[in-house]
Amino acid sequence: MDLLGFLFDGFSLPFMARAAAVLAALSLVAGVVGVLVNLRGLEFISDGLTHAVFPGIAVGFVWGGREGLFLGAMVAALVAAAALTLIARSAVPTDAAIAVVFTAMFSIGIIVVSRETNYAGQLQQLLFGRLLTISPAEVVQTIVICGVALLAVTLTAKEQVFRAFDNTGFDAAGYRPLLLDLLLNGAIALVVVTASSAVGTLLVLGLLIVPGAVARLVTQRLWLLFPVAAVFSGVAAWLGLAFGFAASVDLGIDLPSGATVVLTLVSGYFVALLARLAVDRVRAGRPRSEVAS
Amino acid sequence: MGFFEQALLAAVVIGALSGLVGALVVLRRRTFFAQALTHATFPGAVGAAVLGLSIPLGAAVASVAIVGIMALIGRVGRQGSQVASGIVLTAGFALGVLVQALNPTLPVQVDSFLVGSILTVTNGDVLLAAGVLVVAVSVVVFLGKEILFSTFDVDGFRAAGYREWPIELLSLALITATVVTAMPAVGAILAIALIAAPAAAARLLASRATQIVVAAPLIGSASGVIGVLLSRALDVPAGPAIALTAATFFLLALGMRRFGASRIRLRA
Amino acid sequence: MSSNPSPVRPADGPALELSAASFSYGREPVLDGVTFALQPGEAVAVIGPNGSGKSTLLKGVLGLIPRVGGTARVLGEATAPAGAVGYVPQTEGLDPQFPVTLEQVVMMGRYRALGWLRLPSRIDREAVERALDAVGMTHRAKSRFGELSGGQQKRGLMARAVVSGPRLLLLDEPFNGLDQENRDALIGSLERLKGRGVAVLVSTHDLELARAVCEKVLLLSGTQVAFGPRNEVLTLDNVQRTFRDVGVEMDEHTVVIPGHEGH
Repeated sequence: MDLLGFLFDGFSLPFMARAAAVLAALSLVAGVVGVLVNLRGLEFISDGLTHAVFPGIAVGFVWGGREGLFLGAMVAALVAAAALTLIARSAVPTDAAIAVVFTAMFSIGIIVVSRETNYAGQLQQLLFGRLLTISPAEVVQTIVICGVALLAVTLTAKEQVFRAFDNTGFDAAGYRPLLLDLLLNGAIALVVVTASSAVGTLLVLGLLIVPGAVARLVTQRLWLLFPVAAVFSGVAAWLGLAFGFAASVDLGIDLPSGATVVLTLVSGYFVALLARLAVDRVRAGRPRSEVAS
Repeated sequence: MGFFEQALLAAVVIGALSGLVGALVVLRRRTFFAQALTHATFPGAVGAAVLGLSIPLGAAVASVAIVGIMALIGRVGRQGSQVASGIVLTAGFALGVLVQALNPTLPVQVDSFLVGSILTVTNGDVLLAAGVLVVAVSVVVFLGKEILFSTFDVDGFRAAGYREWPIELLSLALITATVVTAMPAVGAILAIALIAAPAAAARLLASRATQIVVAAPLIGSASGVIGVLLSRALDVPAGPAIALTAATFFLLALGMRRFGASRIRLRA
Repeated sequence: MSSNPSPVRPADGPALELSAASFSYGREPVLDGVTFALQPGEAVAVIGPNGSGKSTLLKGVLGLIPRVGGTARVLGEATAPAGAVGYVPQTEGLDPQFPVTLEQVVMMGRYRALGWLRLPSRIDREAVERALDAVGMTHRAKSRFGELSGGQQKRGLMARAVVSGPRLLLLDEPFNGLDQENRDALIGSLERLKGRGVAVLVSTHDLELARAVCEKVLLLSGTQVAFGPRNEVLTLDNVQRTFRDVGVEMDEHTVVIPGHEGH
């Protein structure tokens, strides 16, 4: 299969096109939100949110099937985001407290699902996603929710960056950090919910943190970080999807699409990491060689 | 011994170990690292299952690789330890999912690796946990004061002429070993609850490190046992039951601290 | 949006006025009994050893730490209007790898006045240029903030603090670790600001620097020891009481050592 074929063939199929649309929307939002996650060091909180959203997803799924899932998940996500925000700012700080809360919520989710007859299968689906069986309605839902999250973040982008850089100065300027944190954590929660049905609860974190980390490796210019993250995320998702399709059609191997996308993202990350190490080494080596010659 | 009694024994031993090493994790602020470890050993476990090797071994091998990768990432100036933990967590997990999907006929039900299956722990698992517990206790007894010093004030520790890296290495090794042995009981996803919650609860209640290091394993074992009993009584999976019990201890400790502090005058 | 402060008439009240104020992080107050007034165009040095409450006072004035007793009026109000108080914190705690330029950091000082949804305009950019010029850092505007030296970062944060034209400026140990060039630049900037009617409150444990800029001195040691014109307050007795356990150099000829008279 030639390169162009590899990149474009599969997408004429409706289910692939839907998967691509969902991933495109997710990549864009996750890329932008992910930069803020990186600048604020919120990787751990984001991981917590992916776990804390799970009971909402589970309850929604159990009561409403696929359609109910979304509403349940949204409610749980926003509640969890608010709770985590408050805990993170309270006097009992510590990662340990956050870890305990989100694991407890995750456990509740597991118990809810365990009451269902097809426990193992449904758990599998919820945890790992079903990118290739997304319905048209879900595509629309995803795009709308992603749009809301993107709006919330871009409208407050400059304040978010200020807070990320210097939260003492931010406080001193008279802002209320709580509002901003709720907004960002809420946006993260929305991304988690929509991404969960695509790549599964456990792999959402990849979409959130890898693009931002890659952008930091690529550039030091603040406002470039956002487009770089979004573009990288989109391209990697596309490649991952195409790769999974090609493997399935040409090699007969059935790769789980969520995992494939995340692994493509991570491979891109390591390429960027090694490139950055190489560039830094070359730059550090230059003065010496000039002196020697 | 019947499988239920075996499960209770496992709960006591694994709970104690998780609590003890959890104290180390909490005091040294390595919770995200431990969390990343629990998820990232997943591919090692799956790989071991595919190759027919022992799962703890696969998980252990994966752990070593993971710590190496995290160290590498952490070295690059613009990536911190949070990024390293996050990347490793998600990459490892995705890899595990992939390998699992490629081998649908695994002899071991890998989902149980994710949420635990304490009722099917083997003698080997319990013995391994007991062994690690003995090592952990010895480390705490013989090296406790050095660990405490370096945890509390790493610069002062170095200034006093000690080297930091042996302590760091030791605690990493213990955390890794604990994560690997806790998995059969509560699974990869919930292991952090058993590691963090008892220790966090102990920390809220006790003011001295020696007290924390004694209280945490006790709370850990209690969480394990009560969780297993509840799981049988309420007919829910044991892993989540144990995790929720541990979390409840933590919330209780939180409540006691909040309400108790207003009445108790803490003596210096 | 004006970037120069409106001329301050002497008839305007004090920029800052505290009376028996006390501040606390938790249950016990860490600083109490603070009573003083700071006039526009004046500079007061807050002097004391480490842990005496200097940072606490500044943060308390900003509202970052709760005031648990007494009164405080900032620019005549209970809480200062946004953008009217500038703050130059100690630089510790800022991520040296953070991808921002000096220019962008100074621009952050305009955000509050700009508001939530608006983007910086030409007026804001010009204000940033002027602020950078005032601290002598125009040549490094496009450098990454973390690449600047400690002294340069301090001057950058100073530019950020003044870019919105505040009427009260608080500086927390601004002279720590600065070389001579940076100290002189900072002192020059402070003199210019005072000339424009800005009130300055600067915390330091360096008596020589306090002498260079400030007319009045506030001595702290967990509580207020003394306040008033520099020469009246900086007596051997007061300094000994403030710096109880720490030796300190009062001037070229006098060093105060705990338990001894100065010689």
